[in-house]
Amino acid sequence: MGKVARQVVEQAGIEVNVLLDKLVRAAGAEFTTFYYYTILRVNAIGFDGEGLKEIIEDARIEDRNHFEALTPRIYELGGALPRDIRGFADVAGCPDAYLPSNPRDMKAMLNVLVEAERCAVRTYTEICNMTFGKDHRTYDLALAILHEEVEHEAWFSEYLTEGPSGHFRRGTPGTSPYVRRFMSADIG
Amino acid sequence: MALQKLARVEEIPPGRTKFFRLGSKTVVLANRAGQMYALQGICPHRNNPLEGAILWDHLLDCPWHHFQYDVRTGENHFPRNVYPADLPRLQEQVRPLKTYRVEVKEGDVWVDLE
Repeated sequence: MGKVARQVVEQAGIEVNVLLDKLVRAAGAEFTTFYYYTILRVNAIGFDGEGLKEIIEDARIEDRNHFEALTPRIYELGGALPRDIRGFADVAGCPDAYLPSNPRDMKAMLNVLVEAERCAVRTYTEICNMTFGKDHRTYDLALAILHEEVEHEAWFSEYLTEGPSGHFRRGTPGTSPYVRRFMSADIG
Repeated sequence: MALQKLARVEEIPPGRTKFFRLGSKTVVLANRAGQMYALQGICPHRNNPLEGAILWDHLLDCPWHHFQYDVRTGENHFPRNVYPADLPRLQEQVRPLKTYRVEVKEGDVWVDLE
């Protein structure tokens, strides 16, 4: 925990325990989404699924990165992850991204994916709105995650032909171009 | 039928919601483009209060797990639209919100909580 790191956020007018609750829920959603996207990815097969597999993998790894990046901030502010992983899954801030009843129905799978990303976009927009101009570090992190979640939504939305494509490939799977700088343990 | 005055219209501007505790009942008012809606104030997913719920067009977004409800009908929109039918236990989570009749009279919002 950073004593002054928390104090400056409190003095800026943020209820730190409310913020911590949102951050833990967000981290829970990233962690559970990483798990569920693993199941979706392995089921993305066939003529329709193979093309989808790569972007599921990008989103899957980047969601795991979001969990990694959120966790140090939770502890800096005096919070903690739940001791019991079952409790962690229960407080996850977005619904579980279940494999559709028919795992070969790629449109149904895309709907699961795009709705999960939309939930994430709303989550980080709320955290940005709450911290803007008050908690610079959390805002910066939440904004970086938001950038990636917005891109994920766009990828899946474009696959559903909801709009023209602005999608470009990541250089390698799950590069996290915005969040990577917060993963200080990974980049040294 | 027992109408109860809950608020002034200006307390809930378009696009906003307001949460009320009335004894054992809870209500959330939502103003969608000038049309006022009243719904039960507890999300049936985990029985959390809808205090601070955000309105996205016609969808009320629960602040706890982002379950979304159509303010016009109370029906769950998300995640009901993606939950698989072969896991029937999930349907318990996506029950609708109860809706209440609303009347706006001379700037006051009245709700029939029966």
